[in-house]
Amino acid sequence: MWLRKGESIMLIKIQSAATYGIGTVGVSVEVNVASRGFPGFDIVGLPHKSVAESRERVKTAIQNSGIEFPSGKKIIVNLAPADLPKEGSFYDLPIAIGIISLVKNITIPKASLFFGELSLDGGLRHTKGALLLSIFAKESGFSSLYVPRDSANEAAVVPEVNVYALDDLRQLVSHLERSGRREVGNGLVKHESPADSFGSDLYGRGLVVGNSVSGGVDFSEILGQEQAKRALEIAAAGRHNIILIGSPGVGKSMLAGAFTSILPPLDREESLEVTKIYSASGFVPPGGSLIRVRPFRSPHHTVSYAGLIGGGAVPKPGEVSLAHRGVLFLDEFSEFNRAALESMRQPMEAGEITVSRGKGSVTFPSRFTLLAASNPCPCGYLNHTKMRCRCTPAQVEKYRRKLSGPILDRIDLQVGVRSVETGELSFGGEAEKRVLESSEAVRERVWAADRIQKERLKNSGIFSNSEMTNKLIKIFCPLSKDAELLLRRAGERFDLSARSYFKVIKVARTIADLAAVSDVLVGSGTPVSAEDVRAFLKKENIIQVNHVAEALQYRF
Amino acid sequence: MIASLMMSGAISVISINNPGYPKLLREIKNPPPNLFYKGVWQNDLFDNCLGVVGSRRMSTYGRRVARKLITEIVARGITVVSGFMYGIDAAAHQACLDGGGKTVAVMPCGIEMIHPADQGDLYRRILDTGGLVLSEYEGVFPPLAWTYVKRNRIVAGLSRAVLVVEAEINSGSLVTARLAKGYGRKVLAVPGEITSETSRGTLGLIRQGARMVCSAEDVLDALGLQGLGLGVEVGVEVEMRSGAEVGLSAEEPVCDGDSGQESLETKIYKTLKPEPLDIEELAEKVGGDFTSISASLMMLILRGNVAEEGGKYYAN
Repeated sequence: MWLRKGESIMLIKIQSAATYGIGTVGVSVEVNVASRGFPGFDIVGLPHKSVAESRERVKTAIQNSGIEFPSGKKIIVNLAPADLPKEGSFYDLPIAIGIISLVKNITIPKASLFFGELSLDGGLRHTKGALLLSIFAKESGFSSLYVPRDSANEAAVVPEVNVYALDDLRQLVSHLERSGRREVGNGLVKHESPADSFGSDLYGRGLVVGNSVSGGVDFSEILGQEQAKRALEIAAAGRHNIILIGSPGVGKSMLAGAFTSILPPLDREESLEVTKIYSASGFVPPGGSLIRVRPFRSPHHTVSYAGLIGGGAVPKPGEVSLAHRGVLFLDEFSEFNRAALESMRQPMEAGEITVSRGKGSVTFPSRFTLLAASNPCPCGYLNHTKMRCRCTPAQVEKYRRKLSGPILDRIDLQVGVRSVETGELSFGGEAEKRVLESSEAVRERVWAADRIQKERLKNSGIFSNSEMTNKLIKIFCPLSKDAELLLRRAGERFDLSARSYFKVIKVARTIADLAAVSDVLVGSGTPVSAEDVRAFLKKENIIQVNHVAEALQYRF
Repeated sequence: MIASLMMSGAISVISINNPGYPKLLREIKNPPPNLFYKGVWQNDLFDNCLGVVGSRRMSTYGRRVARKLITEIVARGITVVSGFMYGIDAAAHQACLDGGGKTVAVMPCGIEMIHPADQGDLYRRILDTGGLVLSEYEGVFPPLAWTYVKRNRIVAGLSRAVLVVEAEINSGSLVTARLAKGYGRKVLAVPGEITSETSRGTLGLIRQGARMVCSAEDVLDALGLQGLGLGVEVGVEVEMRSGAEVGLSAEEPVCDGDSGQESLETKIYKTLKPEPLDIEELAEKVGGDFTSISASLMMLILRGNVAEEGGKYYAN
């Protein structure tokens, strides 16, 4: 390097990372402060607008932290690799710490990642993607991760990485100065995530992710609607997609709100998958950690194709991915744009969706249970006890046809939701007198049935009855002689198509599993162990005639 | 343009001067001078015509009653005449065809159109089974408010008796009934629930002296035909199939273990006997495990003891 007297060039590299979809790419933030050249402050390396604006935030934050900003020098920040588009405000911290380290001659500890948005007063703010960065740190061998305090719980989910929670820039500077001089008691200790208490009792009541309609309804709060509740139980147990059909105001949305409460809790692996998607979308709240409740998404029927399956110049997850491992509730199913619904076909089948855009393609997981709700006819009051339907048969028929289509093929259960007499609803009414089963009791059965399926299907590459192909149905769904007879008769009577026929068998399999759970497993009074499940599966588990008969109630 | 379909096919016409022109129709005040028709004209088709009319917005009760009464009487060579509208009209045509009878549809529009257009299947079936489609209008004359009323006089004029299954007050069905009375034909009406809108018209007719119809026997009686030859009321006949016999028919797929006790299926059947219920109401009344009730109900349906219509379950 050729320097004149009194001139200096200072260069430092700070490590951070760019998120892309739910993946992460390492980004090295190169900061150069030169005394030669026209004074200025520039960021290069395909910065998005949010990154370019970082200059003003960084400069003000440094000055407001009582640190001198080298205004008279030429500052160049390069975000490498230079051809990857950078988005997000979390480059503030690496840029600022780069400049400060050059000004104050501070050594940056090795194998450290910096992440965070600056406030003008020098404080640090929560931004999206902390978990993704933390996972990246672990995979790429970075031992320390410096993040805003609000993002620390999220980042600390990965126990292998030392996460340091920061309140402001000054705190970080003093920490780095002291650690450079090997002083003790520098004030920063490794942050522990509350998520380490994983497995605590959190099932969704009161704690909801996304735009839940109801904030978690318990089954015991729903009076009547025995058939719909039973159908939801079957759907939850076998991960069957389900459609509720009923007039406005009969409680479809309430039933939908209760659906997540009977789903088994997310296990750690699933929880990580879900949190990654939410982290990438910026939906993890400040101070938030692992998401432990099943997502419940209910997009409005005007949702666009991109909103549903994901999209954007830099692809962002759509509703099908935000509902991953949870429930996608499509209210007013028939009102949804047909093209948007059709686009859900592939993600529903594959369990993931690849969104390709000009700036690359990203794959998001999308394994969810579809819960659809619809009116029975255009006016909504077909077969209503009190109201009169104003539709002609032709209109009703047209509406039905609108409902059908490729997505309906993926729905195993159909259930009519009828209006409950208001007399029954009032306190002290007929329905009130019965003891209603709580979500917890239902969830126990669902969970046990879930384990039976996982064990039975473990070598088939699928997890639930709903995913069984016709070939697997033949293997795993033996029917008793009577059951077969009944099914054949039903086929003639109801004119069942081959597809409906297999759907009925799949649903009957789940009903049989639930029956086994009540009789054998839960009935024994002890929690279901892995041995119980295996012992159960060793026995003949033939689908009986009453299982098929019940399954036929939910046919199309 | 009105949603109707143009139909090609052989169209014929019969004038009032033709000796084959229906006698009863000729008797009315303003018979159509020409009847355009599709299908094969047979004079004996008009010997024993029963006009069946009713609400477009029929209830499930209306549909079931129309179906029950008509399928039981068509074997006696009765031709069902109706207006091809959706609702009771279509149900009447359908029931007649299902019972193996012949039916005549009188259109409110030109003979070359199908109205309502979505009932093309029914239209073809009427013709395929030796029935007729009639209209006093040629070509593609559109159905208009007044043509429906004019059409009603043909339905009434062709019929020896007019059966009103369900009707709202001030409805076209009542117009047909009034015309029939004016022509000296018998007017029959099916009673319904006093709370149902579609029963107001029929109950009004009964109050004014229309003959109340409670069974197929009553209809045959009104037409001057002998009974069904069963010696019992139809209602009683159904009663005989109820109770202990349910669930014990030869084709039953499963056997109830505890034969000493009343089986769940019998209990369900007995509960449904007095009134149709939806599954929630049924579970409420029968009590006990919902899944068993649900499964038993399906058994009853598959055995034909119970029918489901519009979300309600009926004991047959």
